[in-house]
Amino acid sequence: MSLHLPVLLIVLLLGASYGVPLLDRYRKNLAFPLTITSLAAVFVFSLYLIFLVGRKGPFFYHLGGWPPPWGIELYVDFLAVYMLMVLSTIGLLVMIYGATDLYHELKEEVLSWYYTLYLLLIGSMIGIALTNDLFNMFVFIEISTIASCGIISIKADRRCLEASIKYLILSALGSGCILLAVAMIYMITGNLNFDYIAAELPGALALYPYNILIALSLFIVGFGVKSALFPLHVWLPDAHSSAPSPSSAVLSGLVIKIYAIALVKLLWRVFPPQIYAAVPVLDIILFLSVLAVLVGSIFAMVQDDIKRMLAYSSIAQIGYVFMGIGLFGSRALSGGLLHIFNHAMMKSMLFMAAGLIIYATGIRNIRDLKGIGVRMPWTMGAFTVGAFSMVGIPGTSGFISKWYLALGALDLGRPFYVAVILLSSLLNGIYYFPIVIDAFFGTKVEPRSEHRDVPALMLVPVLILAAGVIFFGFFPGPLLNLIEKALAF
Amino acid sequence: MEIVLKLLNNYYYFVAMVLFVIGFHTMLTHSNLIKKIIGMNIMDTSIFLFFVAIGYVRGGRAPIIQQGAGHLYINPLPSALILTGIVVAVSVTAYALSLILKLYAHYGTVNADEIALIRTREER
Repeated sequence: MSLHLPVLLIVLLLGASYGVPLLDRYRKNLAFPLTITSLAAVFVFSLYLIFLVGRKGPFFYHLGGWPPPWGIELYVDFLAVYMLMVLSTIGLLVMIYGATDLYHELKEEVLSWYYTLYLLLIGSMIGIALTNDLFNMFVFIEISTIASCGIISIKADRRCLEASIKYLILSALGSGCILLAVAMIYMITGNLNFDYIAAELPGALALYPYNILIALSLFIVGFGVKSALFPLHVWLPDAHSSAPSPSSAVLSGLVIKIYAIALVKLLWRVFPPQIYAAVPVLDIILFLSVLAVLVGSIFAMVQDDIKRMLAYSSIAQIGYVFMGIGLFGSRALSGGLLHIFNHAMMKSMLFMAAGLIIYATGIRNIRDLKGIGVRMPWTMGAFTVGAFSMVGIPGTSGFISKWYLALGALDLGRPFYVAVILLSSLLNGIYYFPIVIDAFFGTKVEPRSEHRDVPALMLVPVLILAAGVIFFGFFPGPLLNLIEKALAF
Repeated sequence: MEIVLKLLNNYYYFVAMVLFVIGFHTMLTHSNLIKKIIGMNIMDTSIFLFFVAIGYVRGGRAPIIQQGAGHLYINPLPSALILTGIVVAVSVTAYALSLILKLYAHYGTVNADEIALIRTREER
């Protein structure tokens, strides 16, 4: 049983995604229970996997019993279980929130299709986190691309359709680059397994340097498009702001991060370290991440729509993750990886809180939010925690990851990046604090007639995440421990 | 002269790369959405061509092993991978085309620039 656990996670979610529409035909109200049960099962299994890996150490799983280089291999290491934890926790909480929200945002007949796409998306992201095989990774990337475009376009209004075609075309461009890079790597090494490639590449570097360089740059462009690294981010604001709120939460919280993790896996485990000394790949990533951190925040300041502002803020925050990758010291990288979890918590919470405000009052414009904190104290309380964490106030989890990034930059003797982190925190404050201050102390606006009460089931996930942000702000120890082990390979 | 010879010997890689650039360029520069999708397919096909060309062994035949016949066989793995790649490309294309149909129903055009223009006019 426990032997087959890694593949069971993926098979369970992919199988459930087929089961949902079938069950929906049979009886209308069974689709959602199946979705939530399978997500909860995956949550429990990944907790067990963390426990297992913590006790016995990383292990391999061979699909169908075929050992590499013939078969596909899954590698359950600390990085994979860390991502598993992020994916399964946020995935489950967002779906609990979505149970009520989706009824109001989507037509009844597409609801079961939404669950299908959602399960496919979470399943394929778990696949990307676990796989140890290049082509398998490509297939999972394509599944997650189609599923993530699907959960935007399912709303089928004009803005969503335009946003999702833009996303789909740019994503397909990124997938093309990744597939060509896989071809380049396969051409010179004859292997698709990460460990076998890593063993071959140092020798191949002397013979075919151009192939490896082209592959490396194509990987960076491909994953850069998909995870919205600064100049390649153009699809993100439309896609994340027009989608239904649960989709925005998952897309901003999880989907853009998993591609960054795939890039970390490739850069850290597959490509030989000599290559980073020879070509300034990491410096290019660093340069772009600095631009992302600053420009994303500046764009966010001028937005009127609250979800659009959060989407631009995601561009800035993914910049921190890439800054960790670009600095490439172990402490900086652990700051970047920690930020993946922290930002997944904060941003999905903020998107859900924004969704709650839109659900209850129909207000999307930031200037109309004055006095909302009096009417919706719990929602705005959670929003405030998220905003503080985004800025990096001590006592919230956002502070810890920025602290580690700054320490990592100092370790490597690059104080310039500490200044960038400070400046961007200031910029974050400029657009997050006015919302919080206006919400609680602004002059009260007359409540509109369409005001609805917030159901407890929608509020609970938001409050759990807010508690999580504060908890991990004070006790980051277990997470840091996990990440340190993840980077020790 | 040497580089020309090298290109001639490996012309299938060269053609694949030229096709890739054509597809890439079409996808990014044309504002017609259908042309973008065609560009995407040219790009994908060029990668498939490249992948299959990697697995070719000069003088090899299909890898149906006959014991003791002493034939040379091509590498079947890239071809098998590309079957998956084709399936993925087909599904992305189908999805994109259905999105374009819906967009046409909403906006009355398949030109990305015109759609953007209509949207900015609406927002004002």
